[in-house]
Amino acid sequence: MKVRIEVVLLIWSAPVLAQQASIDSGPVVFRRDCAFCHGRDGGGGESGPDLTRSKLVGDDKGGSTIGPLVREGRPDRGMPAFHLSDEDLAGVVAFLHAQATKAEANKGGRKGVDEADLLTGNAEAGKRYFEQACARCHSVTGDLAGLAGRLHGLRLEERMLYPRNAKSTVTVTLPDGETLSGELVYLDEFTVALKEASGKHRSWRTTDVKYTVSSPAEAHVELLPKYTDEDVHNLVAYLETLR
Amino acid sequence: MKLWLTMIFLAVSTVFAGGPGDGWPTYHGDYSGRRHSALTQITPANVGGLTLAWAFQTSQTAAIKSSSLVVDGVMYFTVPDNVWAVDARSGQQIWHYTYPPNKGLHIGHRGLGMYKDWLFFLTPDAHLVSLNANDGKVRWTVEVADATKGYWTTMAPLIVENHVIIGVSGDFDNLRGFLRSVDPETGKTQWEWDSTPPAGTPNATTGGMTWMTGTYDSSLDLIYWGTGNPTPVLTATTRPGDDLYTCSIVALRPETGKLAWAFQASPHDTHDWDAAEVPVLVDGNFDGAPRKMLMQASRNGYFFVLDRATGKSLLSAPFGPVNWSLGVDAKGQPVPNPKKEPAPDGRLIAPDEGGLTNYRSPSFDPKTGLFLVSSHPSWSVYFAKPADGTYGWAGADYGVWGKAVLEAIDYQTGKPRWTHELGPNGSGAGVLTTDSGLAFTGDAHGNFLALETASGKTLWHAGTGSRMETSPETYELDGRQYVLTSSGGVVFAWALPER
Repeated sequence: MKVRIEVVLLIWSAPVLAQQASIDSGPVVFRRDCAFCHGRDGGGGESGPDLTRSKLVGDDKGGSTIGPLVREGRPDRGMPAFHLSDEDLAGVVAFLHAQATKAEANKGGRKGVDEADLLTGNAEAGKRYFEQACARCHSVTGDLAGLAGRLHGLRLEERMLYPRNAKSTVTVTLPDGETLSGELVYLDEFTVALKEASGKHRSWRTTDVKYTVSSPAEAHVELLPKYTDEDVHNLVAYLETLR
Repeated sequence: MKLWLTMIFLAVSTVFAGGPGDGWPTYHGDYSGRRHSALTQITPANVGGLTLAWAFQTSQTAAIKSSSLVVDGVMYFTVPDNVWAVDARSGQQIWHYTYPPNKGLHIGHRGLGMYKDWLFFLTPDAHLVSLNANDGKVRWTVEVADATKGYWTTMAPLIVENHVIIGVSGDFDNLRGFLRSVDPETGKTQWEWDSTPPAGTPNATTGGMTWMTGTYDSSLDLIYWGTGNPTPVLTATTRPGDDLYTCSIVALRPETGKLAWAFQASPHDTHDWDAAEVPVLVDGNFDGAPRKMLMQASRNGYFFVLDRATGKSLLSAPFGPVNWSLGVDAKGQPVPNPKKEPAPDGRLIAPDEGGLTNYRSPSFDPKTGLFLVSSHPSWSVYFAKPADGTYGWAGADYGVWGKAVLEAIDYQTGKPRWTHELGPNGSGAGVLTTDSGLAFTGDAHGNFLALETASGKTLWHAGTGSRMETSPETYELDGRQYVLTSSGGVVFAWALPER
């Protein structure tokens, strides 16, 4: 009887202990592997965003979104994959949630960009700028209708300045004259690859085909040297009115 | 007297004309930081046949960011907490040293310094370890700085005579930056040069970290070092003025650490733009007169040419989009535009925080007079408000857009003679040039590229499976020239097929 009780206790205590260990290891692992880019407190550092206000962290349930991101990385944005043990990963997840809660409780006394910080512009002036520079591609009653209901503050401004995940399309002409179009999935000096509407991946040596890339988002890059800071603030003020 | 002069001349020409010779004994290959080799077996005509001689896998997830030393047929390289000695002929491991687990920042590691048969290795928790190069056994370990205060170390020590010269990192706390010389025999400190006043000095900056390896001119008896950004990083209310000697290129006496001159690349920086990039030493003509020059492509977007005897400016010119300065002053130093300091509602800034270039090494090719640098034209938004405080980062910045471009800058004009697009976002690869007219680098996708130095035309490439975060190097063994690159956790040795 006594023996049985001890076994039961062991079964109960092991996961609790593991969880405790992971919470303790979180700050250590975070500092070792993450702090350079995301700051020691998770509030942002060299090149990495503030994780205490990250939507991905906010949406996370026990590692559901943070886990895959940490293990896969985000190579296109400069984040490498980290092959953390389950325990270390759980520690990092717990640490980030704790930091987000701490940050939430400490409004106004911390870094981070609030929506109100960005609203220093003049919406009327922003509207004029929009009509002159943006209306060629965008419409406030079309693609941007209700924009401010979907995007706010910093996320809106970042997307306005350059929509990072915008897709490009490519049309490839094969030597026999056949043309194929699809989403551009890869392009370097040597290889061009597209995804056909069917989902099929196709690639060619750039020396073997002719190809034309269409990247509407590149128009945003042309505007970057032209904006004044006032233009940016005015535009954000205007876009925030598109409810 | 004549013999003595001849010897001096030979010593100088080894450093400045001959390049690293058949090995790669220092982080930059030689003291000049040109990352240019006299080896000519691989040429524009035959580089199309370049093939893999061997690869070495660390079987670790930490990306290799170090330059390997290659000495007497053995290469030594690092990732944080790890040193490997590998046979440079075969890629076989000779030994592997691991430093005990520690709480230091593990962002990256640049490599080693070597003096006699001893290696010098800095750790994430800011200790200097001396290893016996034959077996990787620890000779001694000394603390460099207090890691619990926020220091860490990543750089490859510079060895000058009997001085092991080491620098420190630490941007998340208001810490004093310094450069230190250590005795290779004992680990005892020989001298320390402080880049900033002690923390807590009123109206003064901290920072000025020394996290990249400097260069050395034996004829002028000066070492050259780039210092890092001031702290607090994005907020300057507690540090009015220029914030000396942050974001500076400094010339120091290797015997004493005494400052000979300083040039500030970014007075009163508020954008994290270290001037830690390689101070490249070049002898050549400028405006028709022979000069001993120092060239730096700086993170803030300016290409500087200085007279390295005096620190006087010869040229200051942006090498990509730069919108934060009002121009340069009489000393050739950029004048920051106060309207482009981080603000509560954000300021659109070029380049981004990663800078127009960074840790990746440039290369100088003497035949063409071209300074090749992997640049990052980019835009970002910088924020700071009183609530961010005045400690550590003290603000926030967000990259908007960037790309990678290899630029071949004519050092006499600061203008690129050619550019070569390397892909979206950025490339972490540095540049190597050789006397046969080849330039090696990597693109944003993880391709290793061989280009014609004169034109920038691609002659050969190989996909390596991961973006390079290292600068290529080259050595010769058994009459065979190897080009060394790393990406991910793999070292690749490339060579022409064996006959």
